[in-house]
Amino acid sequence: MSAPLLAVLSAAVDRSRSALGSLDRPTARRLDGEQIGLHLLTAAAVFLLVLPVLIAAIVSTKRTGIVTTVGDLLPGGYAQTNYRRALITLGFWRFMLNSLLMSVVIVVGKLLISLLAALVIVYYRFPYKNAVFMFVLFTLLLPVPVRFVPLYRLVTDLGLGNTFFAITVPYLASATTVFILRQHFLSIPASLVETAKLDDVGPLRFLVSVLIPMSRGVLVGVSVIMFVYAWNQYLWPLVIVNSESLQVAQVGLSLLRGQASTGEVAWSMVMTGSILTLIPPLALLVLFRRPLLETFTIQQK
Amino acid sequence: MSTREVFAGRLQAGALLLPTMVVSLVFLYYPTVRAVALSFSRVSLGRGQQFVGLDNYARLVGSADYLQSVLVSVLFAACIVVGVMAVSLAVSFLIHEVDLGKGLYLVAAIWPYALPPAVAGLVFLFIAHPTIGILTGYVEAAGVEVDWFSNGPQAFVVVLVAAIWKQVGYNVIFMTAAMSNVPASLTETAELDGVPRTRRLLRVYVPIISPTLTFLVVMNTIYGFFGTFAMVDLMTKGGPAGATNILIYDLWRTAFQFYDFGFASAKSVVLFLTVGVLMYVQFRLSDRYAYYGG
Repeated sequence: MSAPLLAVLSAAVDRSRSALGSLDRPTARRLDGEQIGLHLLTAAAVFLLVLPVLIAAIVSTKRTGIVTTVGDLLPGGYAQTNYRRALITLGFWRFMLNSLLMSVVIVVGKLLISLLAALVIVYYRFPYKNAVFMFVLFTLLLPVPVRFVPLYRLVTDLGLGNTFFAITVPYLASATTVFILRQHFLSIPASLVETAKLDDVGPLRFLVSVLIPMSRGVLVGVSVIMFVYAWNQYLWPLVIVNSESLQVAQVGLSLLRGQASTGEVAWSMVMTGSILTLIPPLALLVLFRRPLLETFTIQQK
Repeated sequence: MSTREVFAGRLQAGALLLPTMVVSLVFLYYPTVRAVALSFSRVSLGRGQQFVGLDNYARLVGSADYLQSVLVSVLFAACIVVGVMAVSLAVSFLIHEVDLGKGLYLVAAIWPYALPPAVAGLVFLFIAHPTIGILTGYVEAAGVEVDWFSNGPQAFVVVLVAAIWKQVGYNVIFMTAAMSNVPASLTETAELDGVPRTRRLLRVYVPIISPTLTFLVVMNTIYGFFGTFAMVDLMTKGGPAGATNILIYDLWRTAFQFYDFGFASAKSVVLFLTVGVLMYVQFRLSDRYAYYGG
């Protein structure tokens, strides 16, 4: 499994220069001793950051997964066997699929309702507008961890415990997304909407044919942020989902651990599942790093 | 801004806002209000709930376990803030200073942003495992006996390292962006004056990017309190002897292992107030540093 990871990273090299060119200061490029030292230090630092996952990737290709010395860190020949066993025999494909469905529904749903809210907050004139915006922003104070106990009671009282509804709908309102979209809309020249108004273009058409095309980068960036957020959810699915057929990958990992621990291959199975769980958000980060980084600079304001 | 407000249909505006408002009210505001109400009640299975005033809060203050959990959480969050920010500042500065290949280094440093906390926990559980971990042999060769399944301080450190590892990527994203916004003239002046790199970092860059740093202090604190639940659950289950029993884990146990929902609601209210204070601090600080730009 280390090969695909490396391929992804080296593909990143090819495009990194154009994608992140703005970070390169046009300084004099001399290969002096100081720069070589800096490169060694930087390379060592990022290597340490990658190392634990590299070890996990190597272990996922071995039979027993017992790795106690550096000498044991040669990739084994069991990659295909392990990944097939985790996905098919131990049913991890189901957890991955549930995570994917949950994340996609959350991303699409959040985008849709946040686009509508941001459209109103920026382009409509109506009373108590600031109060409405504050009402949305105040939800930043109510992350899942501070309300999962009463939320659990609410959702189960509604008879919706252990449903797909429970792991998606409560996530749909997003202060962060509304805020980022609002900031971005405010950076689009006001003359555009004035022209649209003069041409009798309605708000929804303005949204679809002007705002959305002009917000592609931000929409991609926000989508990646929300996907990573949704995919990595652990606490709420752990609490509200109690059947294996609906469980997500994050929680499914410990089920995999339990199922696999009966045999000697336990650890290589757990690392196989870990790498599988890491791949989707990691792939999105690497592919869309440029819009992601640009969107983060909006979020901080 | 006012020139943008060209649409005036109130009903239309209400209809477009409706989905966000309904979801916020039903799944965010209502549960929070209900948590406050439940925190004044005793909830027992089958017998409904009865009002008990401040009993749950009195239990909180009187509970040695809870006070230990508060202490562990604060210490844990503080260590995360310091550890993550020291590592991230060093990594970001190195990436800022190298002349070639910044893009590759950056991707290789920010990727843990995508790392699921559950995966971070399991990978560290494996490589630092007391009997089979690959790190264990080397640490023991250095004269430390690794037994973090029963040694509290060691368990705290192992979970801490996993938690720091996962959070570095997020910090590097913001720090490298802030450093690339430092005016080049400042860097050149410092270089001409022969200011050493580390001093340029600490005396020039750190003060200029301080708005970003205060933002990150708050985000890392919130992460330390809440974002590390999966690691604690998978690595130590809050133990040994409560050494890693951070507030969010303690809350989960109160609600879903002891089914003491009234008590758990009081604990939720405390966490809500904690987030409120942190957000307020960030709001005030970012106000004060507004002149620096971003």
